[in-house]
Amino acid sequence: MRRGFWPLAGWLYLGLLAVFSLLPMAWMLITSVKTQFAAIQFPPEWIPSHPTLDAYAELLSPGREIGRVFLRYLLNSLWVSTATTVLGVIVAVPAAYAFSRFRFPGRNLLFYGVLLRNMFPAVVFLMPLFIMMRFLGLVNTQLSLILTYLTFGLPLSIWLLKGFFDNIPIQLEQAARIDGASRFKAFLLVVMPLSSPGIIATAIYSFIQAWNEYVYALTFLNDDAKLTLPVGLQHFFTEYATNWPGLMAASFIMSVPVVAMFLVLQKYFVRALTDGAVKS
Amino acid sequence: MAEVRLANVRKGYGEALAVDDLSLSIADGEFVALVGPSGCGKTTTLNMIAGLLEPDGGDILIDGRRVNDLDPKDRDIAMVFQNYALYPNKSVRKNLAFPLQMRGLARAEIARRVDEAARMLDIGHLLERRPRELSGGQQQRVALGRALVREPKVFLMDEPLSNLDAKLRVQMRSELKRFHQDLKATIVYVTHDQLEAMTMADRMAVMQGGKLQQYDTPERVYAHPANAFVASFVGSPAMNLIPVRVTDGGVAGGGVAGGGWALDLPPELLARARQARGGVLLGIRHGAIRLLPSAAPGTVAAEVLTVEPTGDITFLNLRLGDTDLVASVPPEQLIAAGQRLWLTFDMARLHLFDATSERAL
Repeated sequence: MRRGFWPLAGWLYLGLLAVFSLLPMAWMLITSVKTQFAAIQFPPEWIPSHPTLDAYAELLSPGREIGRVFLRYLLNSLWVSTATTVLGVIVAVPAAYAFSRFRFPGRNLLFYGVLLRNMFPAVVFLMPLFIMMRFLGLVNTQLSLILTYLTFGLPLSIWLLKGFFDNIPIQLEQAARIDGASRFKAFLLVVMPLSSPGIIATAIYSFIQAWNEYVYALTFLNDDAKLTLPVGLQHFFTEYATNWPGLMAASFIMSVPVVAMFLVLQKYFVRALTDGAVKS
Repeated sequence: MAEVRLANVRKGYGEALAVDDLSLSIADGEFVALVGPSGCGKTTTLNMIAGLLEPDGGDILIDGRRVNDLDPKDRDIAMVFQNYALYPNKSVRKNLAFPLQMRGLARAEIARRVDEAARMLDIGHLLERRPRELSGGQQQRVALGRALVREPKVFLMDEPLSNLDAKLRVQMRSELKRFHQDLKATIVYVTHDQLEAMTMADRMAVMQGGKLQQYDTPERVYAHPANAFVASFVGSPAMNLIPVRVTDGGVAGGGVAGGGWALDLPPELLARARQARGGVLLGIRHGAIRLLPSAAPGTVAAEVLTVEPTGDITFLNLRLGDTDLVASVPPEQLIAAGQRLWLTFDMARLHLFDATSERAL
């Protein structure tokens, strides 16, 4: 390792950042294995003296009230996020392919129009979308969330995938078509496998976005049984006492799919972001 | 195998015509090169035969059947691409098997044909590798193999050798030629390299600006170029084209004159030169210029600008009046820059072109 002031300062800076971002996670984990009494103790216990998995057991047992509610939210979140992801891929892949391969009137206008959506903060669309959903009779349905999340995820997905398709030489498809494949089969057998890192990355991206979204879920849904996790977690705050270990355990469980997915697929994710950007 | 016929084929991109009223017949088992500078329409033509591009007008026939509206997969053709277009995520074996799988052949038959093609191209030891683990020459063979296994009616090749280094290119050239002789395959071969076309093709179609300039055997195209473009494109170094004007008088009754020099022409050539509406372009290849150390009747004086020995032959850049031209001498003949020489032209190998239409006279 190189010595000197600047490398040292760099390490120090990165170390501080790491502590800053990891400390809340650590605190979440620590609190989730405490008892309610230990959780509100002051000065706080950094290492719990009586660690317990009670909070997790309670959340994950469908027989108990708190577990029943939590698991319902978890399933709701899984359903909304998965549906958003699957629909997103189904729409983004052909759209990106068309933008990449076909010349049609209004192509650039449409493409930048799609990207334009990303220039505004999501909250700007809250009221217009709510009014639209009411008009369509979709308020208080999970479909309204799925549709909304699609509009958030699609622009980046399409842009990312277009970069991928652009980098696949058109001759590969031409070769496949001459070798006996239809245009669709050439896409399915040659282009899709080569762009799988991009497709996986966009799928993760849509999933995480839908999984974490709070404001729209709060606004569009009012039936308790339909809530997703981010909104549902509020139920752990009550007027008189907050169930801190329960809240933290629930938060931890909620972050597991996202972190796991990212760890397993991060190499695709990084490749997707760089491959699309740099022409080889 | 099959014959290919193009009749009045047209293709435009926006305003520009990439291929303009092209008619071409390729006989069964013939090796035809489409050759021309980049943008001449040769690749567009090939892609139309393949079915990757749709012609705006005219007919494309393979074996007498009009294929304009057929998908590439239904035309029974195979294509070799400049960048080989091997499927990067498939092994060599799977690359070779792909066209056969697409046609639903039995597994045993696929294995048999893949092995046969691998043996023929000497790539048996590479079958389990991925394309990126192969050298350029090996990739080239695999691409050829993928075309071969299908036993298609027509082979289409789009600059298949231009990504290889010079030495390998010469080697693959003779291999391709042998491949054609063994298979008696109909091959349409696109190249910008006139030497490739000359060395391999039975006939070459020289194109420029979307138009067919000449379609004939390499020998005839070389010896009798139809116009000044073909004359300057085919052959290396390019044919000398010297703008001259036709003169009267003198011993022979007339001749041509350039800036600061004049030459008598025999009556037959003179008659042809006089057909020109405006000026005349005098075409002469380096090998048809004879050099003398001293003045003689019917010679013109020139100054040696540079001397370029290549081993087998030495090229001389000469200054004749106000034009430059290239001549050649055997390497034994020692000539220095700045030297003065006298030229005579081999009249039997002199070409005359109309300076306005550029057509051969």
